[in-house]
Amino acid sequence: MSNGGTPSLPKRDVGFEREPARRVFAAELRECRYQFREGDDEKSPTFVLLPTGERCNRVFLVGTLTEKQRQGDQNIFYRGRVVDPTGTFFVMAGSYQPEAMQQLAKIDTPAFVAVVGKPNIYQTPDGAYLVSVRIESITVVDRETRDLWVLDAARATLDRLDALAAGTAPDAARIKEHYPALDPAVFRKMAYESLAQVKI
Amino acid sequence: MDFSQTAERISLKIKQKGQSVDSKKIEAKLRRLVEEFGVQPAEAERSVTNELAKEFNLTGIGTMGGGGGGGAGTKEDRSIADIFPGEWVTIEGKVVSILSPPSPAIAQSGIIADATGAIRFVAWAKANAPKMTDGAWYRIESAVVDEFKGVANLKIHSGTAIKPIEEDRALIPSMVRIGELKPGIASVRAKVVQEWETTHERMLQSGILGDESGTVKFVIWKEAGKEKLAIGAVYTIFYAQVDEFNGRLSLNLSTASYIRDEGDIVVSGGDTEIRGTIVHIAPGSGLIKRCPVEGCNRALSRQNYCAVHEIQPKFVYDLRIKGWLDNGKKTYNMLLQRDVVESLTGMTLDAAKELAENNPLGIDEVFLRMRDAVLGRYVICRGREIDNRLLVRSCERLKMETGEHAALLNRAGGVP
Repeated sequence: MSNGGTPSLPKRDVGFEREPARRVFAAELRECRYQFREGDDEKSPTFVLLPTGERCNRVFLVGTLTEKQRQGDQNIFYRGRVVDPTGTFFVMAGSYQPEAMQQLAKIDTPAFVAVVGKPNIYQTPDGAYLVSVRIESITVVDRETRDLWVLDAARATLDRLDALAAGTAPDAARIKEHYPALDPAVFRKMAYESLAQVKI
Repeated sequence: MDFSQTAERISLKIKQKGQSVDSKKIEAKLRRLVEEFGVQPAEAERSVTNELAKEFNLTGIGTMGGGGGGGAGTKEDRSIADIFPGEWVTIEGKVVSILSPPSPAIAQSGIIADATGAIRFVAWAKANAPKMTDGAWYRIESAVVDEFKGVANLKIHSGTAIKPIEEDRALIPSMVRIGELKPGIASVRAKVVQEWETTHERMLQSGILGDESGTVKFVIWKEAGKEKLAIGAVYTIFYAQVDEFNGRLSLNLSTASYIRDEGDIVVSGGDTEIRGTIVHIAPGSGLIKRCPVEGCNRALSRQNYCAVHEIQPKFVYDLRIKGWLDNGKKTYNMLLQRDVVESLTGMTLDAAKELAENNPLGIDEVFLRMRDAVLGRYVICRGREIDNRLLVRSCERLKMETGEHAALLNRAGGVP
């Protein structure tokens, strides 16, 4: 196992621990600009820094798959758009994720889907940022699962905001450095509005 | 290794004789013998007991030098709960269970009980002792208490006198809570919380019993007259044997009698509850084949190959799900067994077999359907957590709760 890197870095967990899948709304994930890796090892995980103050190597999201598109000739891959109450996630699966690609290819739009995947930040030639999620798995789910996810994502967002306000967020320093202009109130409002859209 | 219990036992024995010893000192002596000199723990206990007995000039505890030489006090009646290995004792009790002797050197073995507790007894063939009858009362004079597999054992030897007691006495067994079980013999009132696949052809049933104080594994071996316990039912179990293996206790009901009880028990303890989503289903989930060799039960490869017993064409089908359960903060390796898989996916083992036989994809089809049925879903899993691995006892889909929704809205702050 890699607990790699220079000795000055704090060692992450000994033994394998799978990175948890963070619950993030589309509107927050879209704002990610900073990506980092802890340790120099080839297998060290890459993290996207969430504006609410948590590192994130994997996400779990549930929303409506509204569109999917097959692209490429030699290297086939699928792109899709998954919509939640706050915006759109861009998801993709290529030939390196054959199982995920087959799963995505089979789904007819629109459908509620649950996606587990890894976020990545890209910069387009004109300088715009794009955050996309490389799918590990995608399954069709029901509305109740979607509603449960909205609650779950709202709770996780509020937890992160509380930790950030209390100064206990593990990556608080990085947040100050990389997202100096962000207003946490925006994300609280986002969580509230998402919850308000859930009809029980 | 922990010597505090053994030390406590020795110190209690000394105390009963009117002397006192620091049990820390006893513990140090034991530790030194076992850790520095590689003495067997039982031998160390005996040796320390003898040493102290000599020091205080006590009789009646420890193993005496001469055979048959019960010291003062062996004629004095003792309560079964208060006797310890290394003693010569006289007890009066009721035979509550007779076991089939495991070896020809043993004439009879079983369990004898009084109102304070119960102990296993062994009558050696050499002792020529009269056979005792199940359900009858006896006075046993000058028997030796020794230890077998960490459990006190009453040894009936040639110097032991067994006298039947004619009068019929009432015996009310003392019940023990599962959280307070110790190796030996115990009576419990418990609910059957889980039943496991048997791993041995001589095994009738195994699973988990629980009460308000905790849970414990149980096993019943196949024997005439033994019946299975019904899952979810409450039983009063008299005189089960409590064994210890790798620091975990288990109840062997082969010695026990059990009767089904009215009522219900809210089982607690040793339990973890995790709400999260199933984020991955690992290969090897779904319909699997197991090695039929008794006591093996390993999952076979697709070519019916067992890592130990090679090719096994007469495999046994089973269902399981291995995967990752994720609550957004931590990820747990989870393992669902057949009954949990059936209730979560709605697919029974028979349905899965049929599907696999009639589908061009075979068992892959079962895997795919189960994956599509559970992956990405919110569930509540209850079970035992061992090193990040969750052995799931029950797994249900999570339901929307209005209260939670309202609480979160409040927490988000009511900003319009």
